[in-house]
Amino acid sequence: MLLAFEIELRQNMTDGFVLFGILIQPLIVAFMALWMLKGKGPDYAIFVVVGSGMTGLWTTLLFNGGNSITGERWTGTLEPLVASPASLRVVIYGKVLANVLQSLLSMIGSYLLISLIFGYPLTLSRPWLFFISLFVSVVSLVSFGLILASFFILIPDFARMVNTLEFPVYILGGFLFPIALLPGWTTPLSYILTPYWAAVALHGAAQGTLGTWQIVGTWGIMLAFSVVYVLASGRLYRVILRKARTDATLDIVGS
Amino acid sequence: MDAITVNHLNRVFKSTDGIIKRKVKEVVAVEDVSFEIRQGELFGLLGPNGAGKTTSVKMLTTLLIPTGGTATIMGLDVVKDAAKVRPRIGFIFGGERGLYWRLSGLDNLRYFASLYYVDEKVAKKRIPELLEMVGLKGREREKVEGYSRGMRQRLHIARALLHDPEVLFLDEPTMGLDPVGARELRTTVKNMQSANKTILLTTHYMFEADALCQRIAVINKGKIVALDTPEKLKENVQDLTVVEIELYGISQDRIARIKALDFVVDVSVEDRDQRQVLHVHTPKGPEAIPVLVENLNGLRLGRIITREPTLEDAYVRLVGGTEN
Repeated sequence: MLLAFEIELRQNMTDGFVLFGILIQPLIVAFMALWMLKGKGPDYAIFVVVGSGMTGLWTTLLFNGGNSITGERWTGTLEPLVASPASLRVVIYGKVLANVLQSLLSMIGSYLLISLIFGYPLTLSRPWLFFISLFVSVVSLVSFGLILASFFILIPDFARMVNTLEFPVYILGGFLFPIALLPGWTTPLSYILTPYWAAVALHGAAQGTLGTWQIVGTWGIMLAFSVVYVLASGRLYRVILRKARTDATLDIVGS
Repeated sequence: MDAITVNHLNRVFKSTDGIIKRKVKEVVAVEDVSFEIRQGELFGLLGPNGAGKTTSVKMLTTLLIPTGGTATIMGLDVVKDAAKVRPRIGFIFGGERGLYWRLSGLDNLRYFASLYYVDEKVAKKRIPELLEMVGLKGREREKVEGYSRGMRQRLHIARALLHDPEVLFLDEPTMGLDPVGARELRTTVKNMQSANKTILLTTHYMFEADALCQRIAVINKGKIVALDTPEKLKENVQDLTVVEIELYGISQDRIARIKALDFVVDVSVEDRDQRQVLHVHTPKGPEAIPVLVENLNGLRLGRIITREPTLEDAYVRLVGGTEN
């Protein structure tokens, strides 16, 4: 897993599309959000940093985590990977972890943009709770990415389908505005998305709007999701790999 | 014990067409294929494009599930015991895919060694040895994207040998290589066989199969049409002579007319630059030439020779002259 992590990291560092998704896109989002949310209370700048960082995290998870499977198809390395004795699930976990950790750079980038260039004072209300929330969020998002990646193995064209998932999750996850602004029927959808709970914990700890136990509660929900995802992935990967070997889709490059 | 046994193996590919009325189309890629390969043997699977060679190899390397029949590697079933088969085999698919181009050759090997659970100390010793063996020593820290086709193919060989597998599958390993690169690769394959590896080599180059393989199975349209030593396969055409006629611009009608002659067993056409070479298999020998020339009346003819049949001729006869 560690070598898969290292290899993914090094490959990403030479990929312009990945670097754009991690560094440039979240800065554009942060820049726009900063103007849109101007005057919405004293903590709005830190809200923008966390929110735009979350957009970078989600975009990276969605496109780079899953697309690393598409990349393996393009390079023809998916077959050697599947035919090796290593557990594909563990290899993918390492790859998704690399992508998610790399995407944290987007939060740092937004921080630097807003603090150094625009001169806004940025303080984390509860730094320890924030950093633990960040750690738990990474664990839960990587576990979610593991499930997401399995569909890229099964469906060669899945990369095109995930384009439709980027903005709905920005909105349902409450990254840049509260989900209370959305119609009531969308709330259950937010609750089943682990990125939503990550956003709640990170915004709550950054702005100090949630109590300690409320934040700990979100950690519990995220960890519970993670356990479910990891346990489910064992069976899911067995079924999906067998189906891919039956349908002969491992060497097919999606259009 | 046989290293590889293949019993009545079948593979059918299904594809669907249409949105409302979905039509299922079935293509039989491999049909009732059976053979055994002894431990330490270099066995060739020879056939034209689309004959079922790669599909057979993919089933044996656990990447495809057969639709019928069984196959074992070192006594282990390739479907039921896939996880146990994988550490014992290595494979190379022809072409340049299957490597991480943005990484160095060394990083590729380090990564694949870890995927095969090769102990780090063992990998540190084995990787330089393999780089030396495949002639990439000194270039291992360069990115693969800067490698030539031959270098990538040799890196593939090093990758396949990292975990010291007992059985190797080489699917058209010299495809697209220049003559020097292909010759070096054949030497490497020969060396691997000397190290007592069991090797299944697929190719459509006859001379390659002739030079390397102890036994050859000829596969055509998914079926094994012959299986023997290269010498025995050649014997199938010993009663024939090959008349080669250089000419320019022969039509399909004219080829059909030659094929229809009662003393002609088989005909194939090879393109050489602007020329074509007509290979006519006949028991009549040089006596056939006047009649053949008469039937080619009006075409510009070049050199005409007669020669003994080769393995290539045996192959053309077996697959029905479909390979140009």
